[in-house]
Amino acid sequence: MASGALLRGNGAAGAGRPGGRPSRAPGRSRLRAWLYLLPALTVYAGFAIYSAGSTVWFSFLDWDGVQPPTWAGLANYTRVLTEPLLAEAILNGLILIVFFSLIPIAIGLLLTGLLLGRVRTGMTFFRTVFFLPQVLPLVAVGITWRWLYSDAGMVNQALEAVGLGAITRAWLGDYHFALIALGLIGTWCMSGLCMVLFMSGAQRIDPSLNEAAAIDGAGPLRRFRYVTLPGLRREVGIAAVITTIAALASFDLVFVTTNGGPAGQTNVPALLVYRLAFNEGTIGGAAALAVVLTLIVIVLVSAIRLLTREPK
Amino acid sequence: MSTRPIAQESTRPRTIHLFVRGAAGATAALVLTSCATLSSGDGERDNVPEDVSTTITDEPVELTLAYTDDPPSIELVEGFTDQHPNVDIELQQTPFTDYVKTVTLSMSSDDPPDMAQYNPGAMRSLIPSGHVMDLEPYVEAYGWEESFPEASLEPLRADEDATRFGTGSLYAVPGALSMLGVFYNRELLAEAGVDEPPATFDEFEDALAAVDEEGIAPFSVGGLEVGGFQVWNALLNTFGDDQAYRDWVHGAPDSTIETDGARTATEALTRWVEAGYVPEDANATSDDDAKAAFANGESAFLVTGNWAAFELEEALGEDAGFFLLPGEDPDQVPMTSGSSVSYTVSSATEHPDVAAAFLDYLSSPEAAQIQLDTGFMPVDTDVSTGEGGVLEEINSVYGTAAEQDGIVPFPDFSTPGMIDQLTPGVQGLIAGSTDEETFLSDLQAEWDRVHG
Repeated sequence: MASGALLRGNGAAGAGRPGGRPSRAPGRSRLRAWLYLLPALTVYAGFAIYSAGSTVWFSFLDWDGVQPPTWAGLANYTRVLTEPLLAEAILNGLILIVFFSLIPIAIGLLLTGLLLGRVRTGMTFFRTVFFLPQVLPLVAVGITWRWLYSDAGMVNQALEAVGLGAITRAWLGDYHFALIALGLIGTWCMSGLCMVLFMSGAQRIDPSLNEAAAIDGAGPLRRFRYVTLPGLRREVGIAAVITTIAALASFDLVFVTTNGGPAGQTNVPALLVYRLAFNEGTIGGAAALAVVLTLIVIVLVSAIRLLTREPK
Repeated sequence: MSTRPIAQESTRPRTIHLFVRGAAGATAALVLTSCATLSSGDGERDNVPEDVSTTITDEPVELTLAYTDDPPSIELVEGFTDQHPNVDIELQQTPFTDYVKTVTLSMSSDDPPDMAQYNPGAMRSLIPSGHVMDLEPYVEAYGWEESFPEASLEPLRADEDATRFGTGSLYAVPGALSMLGVFYNRELLAEAGVDEPPATFDEFEDALAAVDEEGIAPFSVGGLEVGGFQVWNALLNTFGDDQAYRDWVHGAPDSTIETDGARTATEALTRWVEAGYVPEDANATSDDDAKAAFANGESAFLVTGNWAAFELEEALGEDAGFFLLPGEDPDQVPMTSGSSVSYTVSSATEHPDVAAAFLDYLSSPEAAQIQLDTGFMPVDTDVSTGEGGVLEEINSVYGTAAEQDGIVPFPDFSTPGMIDQLTPGVQGLIAGSTDEETFLSDLQAEWDRVHG
């Protein structure tokens, strides 16, 4: 990241000098570029690179945070990888991707298709309404949904109103439905984000493409399928990356609504990292789990980027 | 969370807790890293004071106290400084969700607070590293074994490695006591034809059936948080062998929770679940919601601790009652889990005698009045509220239990991660997805991982 910016900085300095005046020595220009980068670089190195590096270092230690640490080798990783709880938590995280990523992207595309080109006034209103869940703190969202999902909450009231009183239950406390109920909160949060991303992407598509397709006799569905959708490839990729990370690294929402319950049915990896570090005081184990989680995220995100790459 | 005296879990408004928890979680990764600066302690430290004295200086003295529970901390400090105007105690509060981490870091730093509220989780690191003062010289000087109930001191003892508790030197003294029990609604019981609180376990189950028949919910249970395992906890206190249980919580070698008593207790819980006495939405109910339901007269019984007494008395008045879950034999010694808000002294303090004088003050009649007024049970159990009502009832129940050595620790003190087995385990029992044997063997597996 840093070196990329640096290269671009150099290029700009060179290109901005037409007219054949002798350019300054490349060494000085490079130095100046570094100077501009320094503030951002310091923050990035201090809070991102250093933190990540020390987490990796901790994962090889047996350490409670106070007493002198001892070298643990791969013991933390062995524990983390052989723990059945972790496999379940990762599986739960993968299931959450469906609710945090796949469904919101589908909803976002649908809303984009419906709103695009039809709504001339009030677009800002729609965008604000759908984007609102992104602005609210997840803790507040979680508390609100806990009430909505409770035994006498609005979800059950609505079900009763339409004659589905037989299936009402305390959804977040139900052994089989808790994870789905939790996932749907994520769907509610992420759909607006996806929509806003797709709307801005769709507005960038050359209108003449749509007009040409319309003249050729393509209906709204076909135009969406063959003009809008291919034009949104990059936005879909970004939305998938953001929401997948949100699903796998979800913590606050789970912590507030179910805390992993009932009976571990909604355990997610980040929750276990927190417990290992702050309940059990095993910093090494927590760090090892965090590293494993990061690797899983990197693999999945790389796969998504590969799939949504522009064809050459 | 695991290590907090469960007793105080519910004393603060829920919303604050949640926001703090959220924030703690969001920054979890960052905090993991900030621990890095603390690469190692100073190694061995002398933590046994010499030349102890029970008289304190008249010179101005400034102390700091790190704590999380308020009440009673502020009130107790004010009571002490009123008696000793030359002493100024600066208070540093940390919300509970961050307390274990914060107190561990600050007590092991180069400039620690003079005193800190006790937390068993933090002690597992701070005692072996020598940062917490061994109070034995003061125990002798002040005669604390006489002035504090033994049951309240026992959990504050630990061996030098802090692998075993309940034995060894004393590292803290209690400033206020709390206890688990069963609250009941007199009016609802009377409606169901139950006029007397049950004296035996069978009578209790009869009362549950009678209430259920009247169409009244027998229990409110906060299974989302600690309320679920506290029901099991009360059953375990009633059916389990108390010495075997103490050994297990304190980490004595070869202890086990897979006992006949624990099986009977667990089976009773699943029986109540199957009979519908435990509400179906228990696993989605927070402790505060369960307490609110009981306070609104929506259920006949609530298993929780004295920390709920003030609110329940306010809501139910004369209808609120309290007893310990009775045993099969009416003469059985009443047994229940108790805990305390306790305070430790840093081994680096410059004024150990003044700190010890504060600890001694906690057992005084003046402190007892403060403890009562702030909703706790007093360390000096002879003091009475004199106001009647459920508070006095609880106080006398505690006195009786403490006299007969009936106060045992909470089960989540056994290992730092035990609460993460207990809460989901009982949720599984309530959901019907875990059987009794698996529940107990999972608890034992966690115990073996730490103590085995």
